[in-house]
Parts: sequence; structure tokens; C-alpha cells
Amino acid sequence: MSTPKILFFISFFFFSFLSFSQQNQGVTVTGQVVEKSGQTVPFATVVLEKTDLSIISDENGKFIFKNVKPGKHTIKVSAIGFSGFKKSIEVSGTSVNIPVQLDSELQELENVSVIGRSAVDKINKQAYNVTAVDAKKLHNSTLDLAHALDRVSGVRFREAGGVGSRSELSINGFSGNQIKIFIDGVPMDNFGSSFQINNIPINLADRVEVYKGVVPIWLGGDALGGAVNIVTNNKPRTYVDASYSFGSFNTFKTAINAGYTSKSGFTTEINAFQNYSDNNYWVNVETNDLETGKYYPETRVRRFHDNYQNETVIFNIGITGKKYADKLMIGFTAGQNKADIQTGARMVSVFGERYRRGNTLMPTLKYQVKDLFTKGLNIDVTGNFNFGYEQTVDTVNRRYNWFGQYTQNAGPGGEAGRSLYKFKNNNGIATFNATYAIGEHHSLLINNTFNTFDRKGSDELYPESVTYQQPEKLQKNILAAGYKFDYNEKWSTSLFLKNYDLNTTLTRSYNPSGNWGDVAYMELNNKTSSLGYGGASSYYLKQNLQVKASYEKTYRLPTPNEIFGDPNDNLQGNNGLKPESSNNINLGFSYQTSFNDVNALTFDVNGIYRNATDFIRTEFNNNQNKTVTVNQGSVKTKGIDGEIRYSYKKRFTSGLNMTYQDIRNMTKYEPEQNYVSYYYKDRVPNIPYLFGNLDGTVFFNDVFKKGNNLSVGYNLLYVHAYYLYWPSRGGSNGKHDIPTQLKHDLNLVYTMADGKYNIALECQNLLDNELVDNFSLQKPSRAFYLKFRYFFNKSNK
Amino acid sequence: MKTISKLPLLLAAFAFTFTSCESSDDKNEGASGETGKSKYIITVSTGATGVADYLLTADDVTKGSITTAGNGLEQDGTYRYYLSTQNKFFSFLYGQGNPGAVTTYSLTANGDLTKTSNFQAETVQVFAPVNKDIVMVKVPRSGASISYMYKVDAEQSVLTGTVSQDTRLLIGNKNPDLAERAHFTWATQVGDKVFMPYMKINGIAPDTFGTRHADSTWVAVYSYPDLKLEKVIKDDRTSYLGAYFTNGLFQDEKGDAYGFSGAIGTANGVVASTKPSAVVKIAKGTTEFDKSYFFNVQEKSGGYKISSTSYISNGKFLLLMYGTPGTNSGTVRLAVADVYNQTFKWVIGMPALLSNATTRYNITTEDGNSAVLGINTPDGNWIYTINGTTAVATQGMKVEGGQITAIQKLKY
Repeated sequence: MSTPKILFFISFFFFSFLSFSQQNQGVTVTGQVVEKSGQTVPFATVVLEKTDLSIISDENGKFIFKNVKPGKHTIKVSAIGFSGFKKSIEVSGTSVNIPVQLDSELQELENVSVIGRSAVDKINKQAYNVTAVDAKKLHNSTLDLAHALDRVSGVRFREAGGVGSRSELSINGFSGNQIKIFIDGVPMDNFGSSFQINNIPINLADRVEVYKGVVPIWLGGDALGGAVNIVTNNKPRTYVDASYSFGSFNTFKTAINAGYTSKSGFTTEINAFQNYSDNNYWVNVETNDLETGKYYPETRVRRFHDNYQNETVIFNIGITGKKYADKLMIGFTAGQNKADIQTGARMVSVFGERYRRGNTLMPTLKYQVKDLFTKGLNIDVTGNFNFGYEQTVDTVNRRYNWFGQYTQNAGPGGEAGRSLYKFKNNNGIATFNATYAIGEHHSLLINNTFNTFDRKGSDELYPESVTYQQPEKLQKNILAAGYKFDYNEKWSTSLFLKNYDLNTTLTRSYNPSGNWGDVAYMELNNKTSSLGYGGASSYYLKQNLQVKASYEKTYRLPTPNEIFGDPNDNLQGNNGLKPESSNNINLGFSYQTSFNDVNALTFDVNGIYRNATDFIRTEFNNNQNKTVTVNQGSVKTKGIDGEIRYSYKKRFTSGLNMTYQDIRNMTKYEPEQNYVSYYYKDRVPNIPYLFGNLDGTVFFNDVFKKGNNLSVGYNLLYVHAYYLYWPSRGGSNGKHDIPTQLKHDLNLVYTMADGKYNIALECQNLLDNELVDNFSLQKPSRAFYLKFRYFFNKSNK
Repeated sequence: MKTISKLPLLLAAFAFTFTSCESSDDKNEGASGETGKSKYIITVSTGATGVADYLLTADDVTKGSITTAGNGLEQDGTYRYYLSTQNKFFSFLYGQGNPGAVTTYSLTANGDLTKTSNFQAETVQVFAPVNKDIVMVKVPRSGASISYMYKVDAEQSVLTGTVSQDTRLLIGNKNPDLAERAHFTWATQVGDKVFMPYMKINGIAPDTFGTRHADSTWVAVYSYPDLKLEKVIKDDRTSYLGAYFTNGLFQDEKGDAYGFSGAIGTANGVVASTKPSAVVKIAKGTTEFDKSYFFNVQEKSGGYKISSTSYISNGKFLLLMYGTPGTNSGTVRLAVADVYNQTFKWVIGMPALLSNATTRYNITTEDGNSAVLGINTPDGNWIYTINGTTAVATQGMKVEGGQITAIQKLKY
């Protein structure tokens, strides 16, 4: 049975079964679950005893029962990490509002919770191995989302250069597209280069959830090593958040986020941001004399062709809080970017004219409804389609050196391959998510994520090129069904099944005659279907000691760019790339304690074990002018990451996290080789394996004026040296490595009028250390930034 | 945009070259054979995509074993090609259109292989020692037909001059719609001149390397150091000398030059040469083929064609032969030939099945009698010594952790 059919069948079954129990009389009981501090508690189980009514509160802690029989009832509310709540209520009239306040089980910490953990703790309490970053704490910094994630244990953000450069996240040694990035649960796969984590300002996010290992199925898709979900603030409210920052390398960024929700539920939101940078930071390079070819070693020069700019606007309009739609939003994302390309895949290839540009033109739809047909059935549908294009422009036949000098070559040519290639990916994503709570302990979940890609490209320089006329199509569909069992407040378990369908249409070129340059194409249509499964469970051994374990058999499908390439990112396609499959086991502990009523400590430790087949990794192509993704037959990963965080009252907080991952190539025999691979049991090269962060912040209250606060923060990033090529080959002397890196950042934030006005001063890479990243590309030298921010917020309730 | 002001730089470069010429004797840092000892450099490819060969060194290659595991100098880049001249080892990066670094290595007084310099050059298809220089040639196979010849001072590892040659005009093709052009196979210093054999190719897809002239031999004769075209000489008894990226012209100790043709010119992927694979001669001091000399290798070998050639000494050559008679295919076999006596012998004492052999980059033993080369087989990789007179092969050092791509030798 094909996936759409299965989906239809399941939905049909679901709805016909549920619509049975519909009645249209009685009282509406509503409420909101909050904890003592006033923070809402999402996903709490709410039950009216002795009825069949039970529900899971939404992400804002809200719940609604319709058609409740008038009379006396007992309402029972439970949520992990909180003690149970029971209350007798009198139901009469047409509607009743029941406020529910839960007590944290971690009573002892109530007055001395670790700073930075309050709002996001709820997410951390899921059965999955998840870390939530409270983005609000970083709203005064100039960080983009990617750099904020770089401070999470087990996470490394790797980038090719400065503002707007090609970037990649890795979680526990899984990287690139093994990690899926979502925004409010919608995969960002097709958002185009104008709207990516390396250019989205942190202010857009309310919090960022980082799932390591097993990813809950309501985040659809084929994430294998983990996922990042960027959660924007979608509480009905009226707000304005505007910021402007400027600093070194002629960098300036503006972000305006504003939203309005009327009493009637009419909602409109606008998020606009702009990034600009010359990125002319200092690098240490070998540069050649144009006449003699002689290389001058260790020359310190400024990057001279790395200008980046992008502007993006996201506009949403719709309604919230209606019976037929808790949220119905129609939106449009429009963005554009232009980026000079300074280097090839290695810094030895220097360009002075080549650039890329692209835009995003994407209509979006979001629809959420609760209690559709019956109580406890929540539906969430999203869809978007990107009509944007991407283009690489390379038409100047020159050879540049790092001094910005060039030799002009005769005739038409380019710097890295003459090109005006322009393409549209025609990429769309639709997601469907349904949850249904059966009684107090059980809930069911179905998620379907469909992704379509149909690249059409042409190059006006080569209008007759047959290469560009070849089909490049891909559709994938991932259908997941899950079951969640909450035995009690202490123990929660999820089980799930996932079906992965991939359908690609492409042509493979071959040489029919054997002559150099002769080419013909044969069309290939590949369909694969794979079944994955897994489960996750968490248990509170003690009130303040939680253990989490998960296992999954999972698949990661190749992305369109990996198969078809992305000329804008120096990425070469590999149309033979196979899906990666993996058995993943995660085990995590988290412990919280405090002493003397003023000191609070938290400990988190996570272990992972992964056994991957056809591990997808990135390496240089044969000429090192691009990178290419390839399958590595068998790779095993053992990793551990941990975090310790300490707080003293509300005055000081400090944390240390470290990650170690042992990623080994276990491919004993490479295809078509009858001898043991030279890299058998070798550490997979070009992936950092030991890294960590140390941070500390001191808070001063009522500085200069009551209500004005000052904080001084420091962050140290450490990445241990790792090898560029396979470690076991060659002597240690002269082996190419990415040396150990230390990046010191300092920031100073002064907030006035209780956070309405903010000024932040930041210094990144304080000691001006040479920072290098994957494939030995250098990152920015010391930089200073100043940020101004205005924030106004009025909650609707 | 900044452009370079060329005159002062040119002057500076000139002055630099000039002064360095005068003082070159006392500027030789480190390596120059003072101890009288020598070391072998064995380059080994591990086969990993995007990773270049490892450079291993050994005092003796006749016995024992060597491995890339935890041993050897790691090079940057991917494809590397080699040349030893002036007691230096040059490693050329083949970057396919990208600029390619040329890295120079030499031995320290302790015999350690050390990187001494690095300079940027274009990706080239031909590189050969000429006097104390290296001549590199970038040869376009299609599109624009300008071939650039670069002169490199091998002592200083710097470019000293560039000369261009239109390869369409070289063969007298003045028709702007016709892509047919010369494609230099290699360059060889003969006397004080540089001889560049070429093949005539279509120069346009789909049969770019195909030819309508598979039965002729051409050599372009250039003066040196001007690299000025003096004449083109032609012969019709066999096909072009050498092959793409492969040397087919050698000067012996007496100053005569011998050219080797596989007679494997193709049209639409099929061998179109009707003439035999053979050796021709250009006598010392002349720039004409010696019509009285013709060594029909194909006949002597029983119908086999030459794939590549390397010189041992005193008229003795090591030949890599295509395994299927009359074609440019089949599992390769080694042979030795004596061009003076026109004898041909198959090498004996070799593994039955060869994957490949380092016939492009190998060396001759000190006594001049034998060739030392790397042999890669499905069962393992070894260094062999092959006697140029008896054709007997002797197995030497086993090389583990990759395929042998070149063997060179430097003094220290």
C-alpha cells in the first residue's frame, strides 16, 4: 500500500471512530495549567474523573473540555516533574474556567533554581534526550541562531567563514543533513539561502530545542542524529522587538519582530531582518606572487571579496482561539541574499569576482485545531512551497591571489568554472500531525511529512547544454505513528513506527563511445521504502534524578542537494548516494541539587551508541575544489557529553560542558577490494571529537537606577585538534590537522526599564586567535559588536 | 579592484633572478649530496578520495617492507605528479582548472625529506627538466587553443617566464570553425633544444582525443631558453610519440634521441593507426628523423603495442606493453628493449597479474643496468628491480597500506 493510501486509511478510521462519540450539549470547561512561578505547563494530562474525558494541555498549558455534564466533578492534572493536582469542581452554566497550579516536585529548588533553566525545563523533562536553550536569555546578544546552538553540549556549529557563510550543525558526530532543523515543527529543508540558521537572528526564537539521538515523531522527517526545533513565541500577545547592531568588518544587522492579537482572535505577525557584512576579517594564508608563483608563507591579509547581504521578511496573518481553528495563519516569506565567494573548498583557491545570489518566495499555511470532532483530538497541518531561485555568477576570467591582485586571462572564462547557472528547486513541504489522548495514560500520534523537489535550471551562457535539461526530481514521504504511555508522573514511555519513502528521478551520464568528452544520459527512477522503529522512556528515580533511555532503528534519506549538488555552496552532487541507516541507543541522567539555599547545581550526562550503515559524510571531491557527500560502509559512534551548571542566588551562573565522541570507520572491506581497508577502525577524519564550552555570567541589579540591570558574561569555546585526512596514515610530523582552538567571547548587557531598552557590547574572539573550521577554512578574527534593542510585550491574558 | 603594477615587480624579479644566479653556489641550503648517501622516495596512494599520495623514504628498496601506517609525509591536495631534478623532488598538484601548487622537497643532512618551497602554478599536462629549469606546459584539449609554457627555475622554485603557443596554428589550422589542434604529449630536452612531440586531435566533443591523422609522427622543436618554435618535423612510418601525459622521447648518453610510439591513435574510441608500434630516431645534432633507423616493436613483440616507456641506460628501455595484441587494452605486461640492437624481451620473474606499474616515475640503479619500479598487483605491492639486459625481475621491498605511484631518489 502506498503511503498516501495508508494515510487516508488511517485518517478515515481515526475520524469515523471518533466522530461516533460526538455530542452537542453540556458545559465547556476551560483552564490553563501553570506552575507556581506563573510559567505555563505544556502537555500536562488533564482528566475529569469518572468520565471518559481526558486531554493533554497544549503548549501554553491550556485545555478545553466541551459538553461536560453539569454537576460535581473531580479534575485531576498530572505532568512529569510536578506533583499531582486534584480538585473538586462544580460545573454549571455554559462555561467554567478552572485555574490549575502545579507544584514542582523539585520543591527544594524552588527558591534556588539554576538560572537559565526555568522556562525551558519542561522541554528538558521529556522522555527524549533534549536540551532546550532559552533564546530569550540571548536576545540582547548579536548571535544568530547557529552561534547560539554552538554553546549547547554535544553540538558543534561549523562554518566556512564570516556572516552568512556556509554552515553546518553537528550533534554527537552526526552532521549536515543527519540533523534536521525545524521552525515551529516545520522542516526548514527548502527555505532557501535567505532564511537559514546562519542568518536568522536569535530574537526570532523563543526557545531552541536540541534533540540528540532519537527525535520525537511529531517533529516529522528523517532526522537521524538529532534535530533542532526553533520555537517562536506564538502566544497571543502584542509585542514589538526591534534591534540594531553594528560592529567590526562593517557588519550591521537589523531585526524587527512585531505581533498583534486582537480580542477577537485576529492575529498578525511580522518578522523582518537584515544582515550585512564585508566579512573583511584577517586571515593567515600562504599567498603567491603573481609573477613568480612563489608562495609567501604566513601572510596576514584581509579577506577582500566576501561581502554578504540578505534581507528577509516573514509576514503572517490569521486568526487564533476560534472553535474551528485554534490557529489559522496564512503567511509569506520573502527574502534575498547576495554573497561574494572568496574561496573554493580550500583557502588556496582565491576568488575576486565570483558570487552567488538567491531569493526565497514562499507562501506558508499553518492550521491548528483542538478537539476536532471529539475531545482530545488535535490536528496540526502546515504547508509551504518555495518559488525562489539560486544562482552562481562566475564570468570573469581572472586568477586572483590573496593580495587582491590578479592576472587577466584572454578570452571567455571564469575563476572556478564559467557559470551563470540559475536554478529553482521548486521545493515544497507539507506536514500533518494528529494527536489523540485516550484516557489519562495513553495517547496516540500520527505524523506525515511530505517533501517534493523538482529542480529546473539553465545557464544563459550555455543555452543548449543538455546537462541542465536533465530531470532532477525527488519526493520523500515519512509517515510515523506513535503511542505514548504515561504510567504516572514519574514514568513516561513512547513507542513509534516510521515509514520512509524516497522517490528520485534523475539521469546518469555515461560515455557511450569511450572517447573523452562524449556523453549520453540514461534515466533512472529509484524508489526505496524502509521501515524504522524505536522507543524512548524516562523515569524519575528520585525527585531530582531523572534517567532517560531511547533506542531507534532509523533511516536518513539523501537530500536533494546531496544528490544533485549545490553549485552555490561548492557542493558536488552524488547521484549514487544511498540512504543511511542506523541503530541508535541513548542513555541520559540528569540530577539537580542545592545547598545552603543559595547554591544550585545541575548535572546532565548523556551517552550515545550508534551503529550506522552507509554513514553519509562529507569529503573533498577529487580535485578538492568542492566537497561531496559519500556513504561510508559502516561507522560506529560512542559518545558522551555532560554539563555542570552552578548558580549562586540570582547573582552568578557558570556552566561547563564537554563532549567526547569516538567515531570509527568499521568498514573492513571497501567495495571491490579484497584486502582489509587501510582505514579500518580509524577515526573518521575532519570531524571534531573533543570540544566544550565554559561560560560565566555575573548579574548586577539596579545599576545606576532601580530596574536597570547589568550583566557581564564570558564564554570560552574549546575544540581539540583533529585531522583533516585519515589519522592512521602518514607520520605525525607534517600531518595536516585542524589545530586546537580557543575562542574567548566577552559580553556586557545593560537593560533598562525592566528589559524594555537594552544595550549590549560584545567582543568575539577576544584574544584574536586563529580559528579554523572543517576543511581548514579560517573564521573571523577579533570583532566587536554593539547592539541596541527595544522590547515591548503585552500578554493577552 | 587592485591591479598589479607589473614593471617594478618584473624588474625586482629580474634583479632577484640575476643576483641569485651569481650566488647560487653558496645558497644551497641543506641538501646537496655532501654525505654521498642517497635515499629512495616511494610515493603511495591509499586510494581514499580527495587525499594525495604519502611520501615514504627508504635507504634500501631491495628487501624488507614499508607501510603508510603512521609513516610518511602527508601531502596536501589530491592528484600529485612527480619530477626529480637538481637533486630536488617536485610534487605537482593537478587541480583540473584550479591553480595547482608545486611543492619542492629535498633531503636534509640527516636524510629527512623536507618541504623546501611551494609555488603556485597552473594545472599542467607536461613537465620536464631542461637545463636547471623545469618546463611545464598547459595543453588545452578543447575550447581555447592557447597552450601556455611555463619556465620554472628549479633551484629557486619560481616561475621565470611564460610563452604561449596556439596549438591550432601549430598544425596550420587557420579555419576558425575547426577545433583540430596539436596536443603535446610531453617535452624532452635534446641537446640545447626542447623537443615536444604531439598528436593531432579533433579538440571537440564527443571524440575530443580522436584523430584523423593516426599514422604520422610530429615533433615541435623549440629553442631554449626562448621557447621559440624553430620547426616541426614529421614522419610517416609510425604514429605519434608517447601519449597523453606520457613521455615518448628520450635522449641517450651519446646525444641521440629515440622516440617511442604505441601507434594507438584512435577515432571514435577505436585504434585507427595502421602503422606498427615502433621506435624512431633523431640523430644527435639533427632536427630530422633518421630515415635509416626503424625498430618495429610490434613485430618483434609478436603484435603488442607500447603503453609507456622509461629509460634505463645505454640504449636499454623498460616498456609497459598492452596485453591484447594490436590494441590499446588488456592487462599490461613489462618488457625490455635495446634500441641499439633492436632486441625485445618480455620480463621474467614477475607476478602473473599486474594491476599497474610505475613506468612513468621510476629510476635506474647506480650501475645503470636495471630499472627500479613499483609493481601493484591484486595480491600486494612490491618494488622490483628489472635488469635491462637479461629482463630478469627481482622482487624487493613490499609496500603496504597503498599502491605505489612513483619511485624517485635523492642524494644528501
